[in-house]
Amino acid sequence: MKYFQTNESILFGLLVLLCIFLSFYNPQFYSIQNIHSILRSSSTVMIVAFGMTILLTSGEVDLSVGALMSFVTVIVMDVINITGSISLGLIAVFGFCLFIGLINGLVRTVLNVNSLIATLAMMLILQGSVYVYSMAAIYNTHLIPLFSFIGQGFFLNIPMPVVIMLFILPFFVVLLNYTRYGRYFSSIGSNPDAAKLSGINNNRYKVIGFVITSLLVGVSGVILASLMDTGQQGSAKGFELIVIAAVLLGGTSFMGGKGTIIGTILGILILKIIDNGIILMRIPQEFQLIVPGFILILAVYFDGVRKKNSG
Amino acid sequence: MNNILKYLRKGELALFIIFLIVFIIFSFSSEYFFTLRNIMNVSGQLSIILIAAIGFSVLLIAGEVDISIGSLLAFVSLPLIEIMNITGSVPLGIILCLIFGIIIGLINGYLSVYLGVSSLIVTLGMLFILRGAVYLYTGQRAIPDELMSDFFFYIGNGKFMGTIPYAAIIGLIILLIFIFVMRNTSYGRKLYAVGGNQEVARLAGYNIKLLKLSAFVICSFLSSISAIILASRIGSANHVAGDLFEFQVVAAVVLGGVSLAGGIGSLTGAAIGVLILSVISNGLGLLNIDTQWQLVVNGVIIIIAVGFDELKRNRSL
Repeated sequence: MKYFQTNESILFGLLVLLCIFLSFYNPQFYSIQNIHSILRSSSTVMIVAFGMTILLTSGEVDLSVGALMSFVTVIVMDVINITGSISLGLIAVFGFCLFIGLINGLVRTVLNVNSLIATLAMMLILQGSVYVYSMAAIYNTHLIPLFSFIGQGFFLNIPMPVVIMLFILPFFVVLLNYTRYGRYFSSIGSNPDAAKLSGINNNRYKVIGFVITSLLVGVSGVILASLMDTGQQGSAKGFELIVIAAVLLGGTSFMGGKGTIIGTILGILILKIIDNGIILMRIPQEFQLIVPGFILILAVYFDGVRKKNSG
Repeated sequence: MNNILKYLRKGELALFIIFLIVFIIFSFSSEYFFTLRNIMNVSGQLSIILIAAIGFSVLLIAGEVDISIGSLLAFVSLPLIEIMNITGSVPLGIILCLIFGIIIGLINGYLSVYLGVSSLIVTLGMLFILRGAVYLYTGQRAIPDELMSDFFFYIGNGKFMGTIPYAAIIGLIILLIFIFVMRNTSYGRKLYAVGGNQEVARLAGYNIKLLKLSAFVICSFLSSISAIILASRIGSANHVAGDLFEFQVVAAVVLGGVSLAGGIGSLTGAAIGVLILSVISNGLGLLNIDTQWQLVVNGVIIIIAVGFDELKRNRSL
């Protein structure tokens, strides 16, 4: 009985209800193409959300992920166009993401700037400098098939973005649930002083959290560039809000201390299936903004009510 | 003398010096910068951010946050322009716009304070809902002001005696009122207490929920005034108006030393924060530096200013 009261099981129930409802409404919902498209667009969000879950669990947040992701699409396209080598493109992307993640982490820990502000500033810096880097969108002129495969290809009939996501997923489930490092992150978030007194180097883990998130943005950015076949300066605008909304919906607390990867995944699937349902039901697309807004508030409200009842 | 020394130790002075340095640099590098006309232009433009920033600061001081103000800006300009177009009455449009603002503030406040959902999440949800509603209503087109009333035009574009923009005067009056309220009335001091230490405020017998709710309403109400000025300047209710506005306001306010943790900061500081960011963007524009670089410069300044503030605070502890 206790299991049914967990956040995950409620989210899962909601997800199942949504799927049943949509499949009655429009059988196209279960078509292979539709499922592929839901999964593909969920994957880029999920990959970044893994990092965001860790960050939020440790009481931090990164608002610069959307701006960084747009920047990544531009860099990867440009570098591969110039050098003709995917490896060099990936090295450039991950080098850049590592650098940005380090700066975010160091500004947070060394300068002690609230991460909401530090990464907001980073968002402005990246949004500006991506246009300094290139004013125009960068089109795919290298036409390397392997690059298109990253976003558009299939492996055993599963879209590649999903395969990449499934490849990364176990690391984070194990990291958060079955290693002491996962406990470190949540103890830093729930009680920083206690964590410090028990010998955890809070700052080190916070920097690691920021770096991991930025690197994951690199992965998602490359996928996005491959999907769009272009590097666009504003391609992931507003992405940070979607990721944060999904992670919060999944039960991770903004105050730090608790969060699960499974909850995050369920949160993203719910938001994406609602998105998809709105299209299938031919409801005006604007509801793609309105409905998630309501769901976010409701989910967190019911979470609070449940906690009050059980506590 | 004592008062001056006390003031020196406050964060506002450091900020004001930054402002002066920026101001002097631009005066030397652009001949157009230090002209009455330009300064008056800037003061008109910055009043939109300033008015919203005052409300945002009041809310932050009370320990809550509202990131839906950008979407609110677009949302409340719909009743403003639509009612003006339909009834031909400017006051009616303005009143309805402000009422919508107050209602949204009440909803945000009720959900956050009385139902206990974190205000960040409530207003994140509200950000999506309002923006979506605006897109839905307008079909993603701007709704032009067809009334073309002189009075409405003057709110955002007119100048008192041909020099001082009315918008700047409105901003200044609101600033002075709220500086007075926050410093010299028991209501203002209670907001500081609620944001600074809720437990102590509760033990002192303050009605925490009502105080916080009022701060939400003030924030939305002042943002609606910003929306009126903006709508007057652009002559329409624009569906993308206020995009990223919340980030601009947060940046200015935090630069001005208002703490995200609640209970700390002053409206004078917030106003100087707005001033610095606006002057920088104006100065860089005059030097023909691209808007892209302006974003970069703003970002760097925020990190330096807030980082410097933190270092100073840590040393004084």
